[in-house]
Amino acid sequence: MDCNKAERFLLRSLDGRLDHENRAMLQAHLEKCPSCQEKDREYQMILRLIRPQTVPEPLPYFQERLLAKLKEQDKTAPALIWVKWAHRAVAFSLAVFFLFGAGILFFRPQEPRELSQTERFLLQDENPLGEAASILDQKKAEDRNMMLIFASVGDKDVSRRYKP
Amino acid sequence: MDEKELIRRSQAGDGEAFGVLVERYRGKVFSLAYGFTRDRTSADDLAQEVLIKAYFSLPKFKAKSAFGTWLYRIAVNHAKDFLRKNKGRQKEISIEDVGEQTLTAENKSLEEKRVEEGRRQIVQAALARLPEKYRVILTLRDIDGLSYEDISGVLKLSPGTVDSRLHRARRKLREKLTGRLIRQGGEHGLQ
Ligand SMILES: [Zn+2]
Repeated sequence: MDCNKAERFLLRSLDGRLDHENRAMLQAHLEKCPSCQEKDREYQMILRLIRPQTVPEPLPYFQERLLAKLKEQDKTAPALIWVKWAHRAVAFSLAVFFLFGAGILFFRPQEPRELSQTERFLLQDENPLGEAASILDQKKAEDRNMMLIFASVGDKDVSRRYKP
Repeated sequence: MDEKELIRRSQAGDGEAFGVLVERYRGKVFSLAYGFTRDRTSADDLAQEVLIKAYFSLPKFKAKSAFGTWLYRIAVNHAKDFLRKNKGRQKEISIEDVGEQTLTAENKSLEEKRVEEGRRQIVQAALARLPEKYRVILTLRDIDGLSYEDISGVLKLSPGTVDSRLHRARRKLREKLTGRLIRQGGEHGLQ
């Protein structure tokens, strides 16, 4: 075993994570290697010294001070319940939004809405009057057709759309 | 009352239930905080901050990890903030500070304690100068004694990474200390 491997084993042995066989191998190396013996001693010492000798108690009234602070902050930001419900509220709003959207898409009234006068005149072969006159006044046939197309495309009833 | 129930009630805003959880965990949180700060008042502040943060974050706790692990994760994050804020305030402790003193029979054991405390401060100062990730893992493992599994949960690291990082941290710390502790050990020996 070389010193590098011995050091890896040393580090593992600090956590008691070295199995019996490897421990014996490490021991054999340590017995003939003063430099690794030194490392072993240093690691052991550092491990002992790194811990505080004693851990003091928290300052008095730890719990009372904490609960008072919580109460105080709960008042200024009653976030706890809020955050909990906010998550649900967002999900709920989204659900409502989509249901509502779906409702609009799927439950549109089938009955055609009342036609405007112009639409009636333009699209049902009645005598055009009023604003329709301006369309029919167009001198160029292409212009007239375009205006009629635009006036009719909005209608959902395909049969009533204007086709030149 | 079992922990799950206490957590559920605390999540619903029951301060008393949270009080019971605090009683169970405050010791661990405080000693972890003390491991990082090495100062009673700072550790107290830090522990309070951690528990307040935990209370207000409870709605987000999904029980994917154990409550203790989750709490430790909050504590480590707060401790990192603390260490960053206090970086540079750590006083450099030299061997001279720890000092030599002529030994007489009656003050020998007192002197031994003093030397031991001096060495402890040297280790502490070296630890404070390590990169944060090494400092954190050494505090969790070698100071606070968390298991590899717990550390892996708290830091969200694979067990293999915990292993290699911890070993690298110990090597770095020893490199910083080699020579200093030995001289410091002086005639009292090292054991
Ligand atoms: Zn060797």
